[in-house]
Amino acid sequence: MSNDFYTTQILPYAAIIIKICRAYTDTQEDFEDYYQEVCLQIWRSKDNFKEQSAWSTWIYRLSLNVCLTFLKKKKNNKQNAPSDLLPDEVLVDSRAFADESLNQLYDAIRQLSEIDRGVILLYLEEKSYQEIADIIGTNTNNIGVRITRIKERLKKILSN
Amino acid sequence: MASKNTIMEKSIETIWKEGFIKNDALVAPKLNDLYNQKSIDIIEKFKRMYKINRIAIVAFAILIIPLSYITRMIYMGIPMAILFIAISLVAHKFSKQLDTINKNTSSYEYLSSFDTWVKDMIAINSKLSTFMYPYVFLALVLGFWFIDIEGDILGNMLINGIISEFPTTYLVNGFPILLLVPFFLAIGVLAFFGGKIGKWDINLVYGGILNKLENLLSDMEELRK
Repeated sequence: MSNDFYTTQILPYAAIIIKICRAYTDTQEDFEDYYQEVCLQIWRSKDNFKEQSAWSTWIYRLSLNVCLTFLKKKKNNKQNAPSDLLPDEVLVDSRAFADESLNQLYDAIRQLSEIDRGVILLYLEEKSYQEIADIIGTNTNNIGVRITRIKERLKKILSN
Repeated sequence: MASKNTIMEKSIETIWKEGFIKNDALVAPKLNDLYNQKSIDIIEKFKRMYKINRIAIVAFAILIIPLSYITRMIYMGIPMAILFIAISLVAHKFSKQLDTINKNTSSYEYLSSFDTWVKDMIAINSKLSTFMYPYVFLALVLGFWFIDIEGDILGNMLINGIISEFPTTYLVNGFPILLLVPFFLAIGVLAFFGGKIGKWDINLVYGGILNKLENLLSDMEELRK
């Protein structure tokens, strides 16, 4: 990957990748691995970008796909667990943001199922239901209901 | 630390927005050493697989003699054991070469040396496979041929059966031509396709990791342009 491509095409959108990778990892080491893999995949797939969606949407999609694939591989190494189930153990994040409320919100997000994590991240990033449905690969009708359910669950986790 | 009440007062949307405005945590990690880590991972994984494979071959070489004795196919067991020992010696030689690849070079040079080693290994294995598969077939035929069935051997029973069924069949040194033709045909086909079967065999075991190596090398080559 050239530095030029990274600087002009990825770095301006690094926040997206960081936010997503943080939700799927529990250590700084894993986070860096995921981040690097996402960057590499963006570079590798750059020729497949058809400008049917925004470049940022493309990055969201790739980031989520890479994180889900990595997580699945990790789970498969431990046991053959289905991908959309709640994690068996609550991940403890060894890193911290300056804002403690944000740390707690991230902790709560990490207790959601893999797909729900993606949905809520996209919602918090103010993506439209249509965009969320496109990125996740589902239909728009389910998104609203799912977001309401996820928010309720997050509130419950945070209040505990 | 924010209290529970503070968190509950804010909506998750607010926490998200304010959190990222306040903090400086969105610093992208440096993309250094990525290829180095990947190169080392791939080669180490390959080495582990190659070692397991070699141990399995030696185990087969040791086990096949008693197994063939139990199954009364000792004429298959001995040549197969010799073959497995020969394969393990060749693999051991390649393994020694693999250890000599210099790690104190750039990732690209390290991977390129490894790639050259893999290609040499596949080329030699393909050449050996031209002889190996007909040899395995011959060993299997010998094994079955000399199975003792109530005092007679299976091979003799087969010859007698063919002669009684086709009394006019042509014999070469006492062997019916109807038996020799398919035998030599099978040997010829296995010798002809042995190299390809050998490559397929390697691909079956190491295909995934060799594809990764190829992709990584092509990425790095593009980087060097």
